[in-house]
Amino acid sequence: MAKLNLLNKISNAGPLLLLYYLSISEVDTNLEQVFEIFTFNLPIIIIYFWILKRPSVLGTGHIFVAGLINDVVMGYPLGISSLSYLVACFFSNYVRNKSVNTTIASDWFTFFIALVFANLLFFLLINNFSDLIISYSKLGYNTFFTLFLFPILWLLFSLYQANFMSGQDA
Amino acid sequence: MSTSRDDFSIAFRSALLQRGGAQKFSILSLTILAIFIFFLDVYGFSVIKTTRSIINDVVFRISYIASSPSRLMPNASKGIANHFNLKEENEKLKEVIENYKSLDLNLEYLTNENKNLRKVLDAENIVNEKSIVLAKVLVDRNSPFLKSIIINKGTQAGIKKGMPVTQNNYLIGRIVETNYLSSRVLLLTDLNSRIPVTFDSNSSQAILTGSGTKNPKLEYLPEDYVFEDEITIFASGKDGIFIPGTPVGKIINNSDKLINEVKLFVDPNQLSFVTVNLIRLNKEKF
Repeated sequence: MAKLNLLNKISNAGPLLLLYYLSISEVDTNLEQVFEIFTFNLPIIIIYFWILKRPSVLGTGHIFVAGLINDVVMGYPLGISSLSYLVACFFSNYVRNKSVNTTIASDWFTFFIALVFANLLFFLLINNFSDLIISYSKLGYNTFFTLFLFPILWLLFSLYQANFMSGQDA
Repeated sequence: MSTSRDDFSIAFRSALLQRGGAQKFSILSLTILAIFIFFLDVYGFSVIKTTRSIINDVVFRISYIASSPSRLMPNASKGIANHFNLKEENEKLKEVIENYKSLDLNLEYLTNENKNLRKVLDAENIVNEKSIVLAKVLVDRNSPFLKSIIINKGTQAGIKKGMPVTQNNYLIGRIVETNYLSSRVLLLTDLNSRIPVTFDSNSSQAILTGSGTKNPKLEYLPEDYVFEDEITIFASGKDGIFIPGTPVGKIINNSDKLINEVKLFVDPNQLSFVTVNLIRLNKEKF
């Protein structure tokens, strides 16, 4: 019984562990070596999906810390990824409060708005307050591929939720 | 109408301020904290610099350990492939050695000539090759927007901001951030990278600009300049940072047409060990 409980705890912590692992490791979602313009932001999808479907697995404090770690590893000004993640988190929270049942299509649409605002904030802060230069086209491609891959990851995460996670969120 | 507005404001406030369960902090408080940290970092307050430096050293080490599985897998497959190609490689290497032997005959003569010419020019930028630090690449995580690597040597080893970084004497970038035990190297492919270069028999000058792709571009070329050959690009050292004459790459021949893109001698995605040149060169006096 205790073993089962531990397994449940581990599987429930899966999304959080994945978020931290993506922030800290080189196993990132930048697949430029395969296809030069192919980059996408997996942490934002993870945050949006799990806050929407099961907020108990991702605390806002963890999202904030994961953002800070990502900034350190990537070399961005501290706090910028956290802000971007928190924007996605806010939209997800808002949609959860306003809706009872969501479908993949409605989630995709609301995710699009969240993603645009999160990336817009990221871009505005870098552009106006930092010396870094970032490519507009790369940001555009990143947004496009993140949006494009959302439904696939939505299905994968839904499967994970249905098969490996116990308990339910309110 | 007023009900829907009430609904909106309730949902909005709840999304911003809600706490409970795993949500131990409200989004609003964390957003304010993130903005505060961002501005402290951007405007370079010394407290945040020191803190960041310590966090960097810790996170880079953890990141190196966390990334080891992803490093081991490609290395293992590469090792197996190398084993099967040994014979072929051996023959090729023999040919290369023969080639080098013939080139070596000219080397001594050219070295002496170079030394004498430098004396004639009274050049100040003579390189002391002992002032180098060999460093291991800890993290080479490519961000979609920034191209940089983290090395395992920092201010403790005498590394300072701006120092040039090479691999096998080929330029790969410069130090842009230093911590006590680690440093960040901005690669030549990064959009923020600009270095003065020289090339061809007329010592033409240009700026090598990172484009975010694997091949940086040459900008500010002489007027109506036409590439006549696949020439080699060298750092000119005009900025007083890079060592003059450090090879960088070759002009790309794109379907029989030479374009202003440069293929670097070192693939920035394959770096394991790099060398940091500790000398800070003086600006050229005119």
